[in-house]
Amino acid sequence: MAMFEEAVSILKDNLGNDVLECKTPKPRRAYILVKLGCHRDAISLLLKQYEQTGISTITGTDLGSEIELNYHMRCGGAVTIKNRVPKEKPRIKTITDLLPGAAFYEREVFDLLGVMFEGHPNLKRLLLPDNWPKGAYPLRKDWKPQDVKSGVSDSEKNSETNGGELKEATSIVNVVVGPQHPALHEPERFSFKVDGEVVVDVEPRLGYVHRGIEKAAEHLMFFQDVHLVERVCGICNAAHTTCFSQAVEDIGGIDVPPRALYLRTIVHELNRIHSHLLLLGVAGLLLGYEALFQHVWRDREPIMDLIEMITGNRLMTAFNTIGGVRRDLDPNAAGKIKKTLEEVKKRANFYKVVFKEDPTLRLRTEGVGVLSKSDALKLCVAGPVARGSGIDMDVRKDDAYAAYEEIPFNVISYKECDSWARLMVRAEEVLESIDIVIYALEHLPSGRFRVRVPRRQPEGEAVGRVEAPRGELIHYVKSDGTAYPYRVKIRSPTLANIISFPTMIRGGYVADIPAVLGSLDPCFSCTDRMVFLDTQNDRRWYWSLEEIKPKKAK
Amino acid sequence: MANKMKLPSMIRDIASSIFKKPFTREYPAVRVEVPEGFRGRHILDPEKCISCGLCERDCPSKAIELVEVSGKRMPMFYLDRCIFCYQCAESCPRDAIRLSTVFELSTTDKEGLLVKPEEFIPQQPVTTKE
Repeated sequence: MAMFEEAVSILKDNLGNDVLECKTPKPRRAYILVKLGCHRDAISLLLKQYEQTGISTITGTDLGSEIELNYHMRCGGAVTIKNRVPKEKPRIKTITDLLPGAAFYEREVFDLLGVMFEGHPNLKRLLLPDNWPKGAYPLRKDWKPQDVKSGVSDSEKNSETNGGELKEATSIVNVVVGPQHPALHEPERFSFKVDGEVVVDVEPRLGYVHRGIEKAAEHLMFFQDVHLVERVCGICNAAHTTCFSQAVEDIGGIDVPPRALYLRTIVHELNRIHSHLLLLGVAGLLLGYEALFQHVWRDREPIMDLIEMITGNRLMTAFNTIGGVRRDLDPNAAGKIKKTLEEVKKRANFYKVVFKEDPTLRLRTEGVGVLSKSDALKLCVAGPVARGSGIDMDVRKDDAYAAYEEIPFNVISYKECDSWARLMVRAEEVLESIDIVIYALEHLPSGRFRVRVPRRQPEGEAVGRVEAPRGELIHYVKSDGTAYPYRVKIRSPTLANIISFPTMIRGGYVADIPAVLGSLDPCFSCTDRMVFLDTQNDRRWYWSLEEIKPKKAK
Repeated sequence: MANKMKLPSMIRDIASSIFKKPFTREYPAVRVEVPEGFRGRHILDPEKCISCGLCERDCPSKAIELVEVSGKRMPMFYLDRCIFCYQCAESCPRDAIRLSTVFELSTTDKEGLLVKPEEFIPQQPVTTKE
């Protein structure tokens, strides 16, 4: 894509001698090592030039005497700006003033690697528990699990756990939602500050399902890691395995046969269909529309059966692997898949009408949880949340992987910026995904579905990007030439999206909380390799009641 | 807004479902057919096993242990740890591990979660019942 090459050359021309190393191993991937501290110049250059530039994540890697910080920017592709800080004194300037969306990523690196970001407004733990011993950074190579056992104490509890202080507040009440199942059935805690019925602020706290998957991945071989990353999230497991496999294939220079790319696409899209239907159903439940929930979930079941038929399990597909897919598609299955999808398509069309017209749903979601386009860009949200705010952003189009280059489809986006728009994006994407699967089945190339790959991968690094059902998913893999990865970094889409929740809910009603949270489709299992908290504490900003009333239909 | 609305389409859908049979399957009264290729309980072919230990080494969840049975080392599967990815079947150089469509694995004791090589050797008494 022209934009990507342009962006890389702008960086090279303007930074001059500050660029120490620049690698572009494949189209739409660049790794640029800059002098310590010059990352801010590089990022501001990109931001000035391209409106839709955002940050995907920050990866910290322990290189021994230095910690390498990779700022993965999305800019027509993945531009990785690298910076190295000395390990004894890991300090670097924050970029949150340029891009507020980087707040969580910096906190994650601070939490897990102990890098201080100078100027960060709220540098607190994100993922690890509050009583985690100070100075123990689990993603550093010299850290041992034994270090923790002795260091954990109950005394060092963070005051934030108890709701924080409310200095100037008079009528403001703290309402804690969670940690048990605030939206979907996953644990997370939200501490809402409520004035009457109006939410003034919210502080989310992540980390309840932190499992240390990134660390665990360093102790398994590449092909075993495919099964591990699959378990980051059950619902979007095909996205995780596709993403990880792609990254490793880039490192090893492995050419995946076209049939495998199509089969990956099929399972990936079926995954998206069932994930979106799941969310649409749950949204119904959260809005108090239980019948809708049960009907949508009923119609999701045939998709699960299809996945079971193709892969051998209804949820955990274990389908992708490095170098292709693990089983071929039964030639007789194509007919059955198409027939089932036609049926599901009828129902999906029906639900699109329901979400569009049903007065109950519209009253609960229209004008609720507004995230303006400029806020969405600033906070670097991804996927349906960004598309619901009018940003045409889809990794499948912008950075085509698997078979998406050859498959025609539309990127759905809505300009309403509210919860309703985010739900509609998903309702329409189900239809698009069904068309993609049918197209892929009809144009399925013949040939091999897998190439055998060596266990040992050459030295190198790669970024894998896919459009998971919830948005852009990014895996960064670094190999040191052995069969085990040196570093695996996963940034799931919910982490990118949850940062926008305080912005959405401020000024809304307490009763809107589930509607807004539901429209984010939060998946905390994915997110948790972290914890977080509101970034801008401007609680003085109110909306009048008139302003937050649902807008009348035009 | 409310006075102008037409009958929501969802109401019709709900009404038409009232007299239908429940969508849920009446398991266990009605048996569930799982597709061919479902990854269920393991089947070991003791004849084919060459005791190479690749399955044990490759298992991502360390659910396989080689045990000695009648003078030969063969894999024993811990179903409680197994993630049913079938990496073992893929890694096996002699195809000694196959998948089955048996998915009803709940038991009341831990012993029931072991797939021991003995049960695939006809002469030996079978310890685990299906």
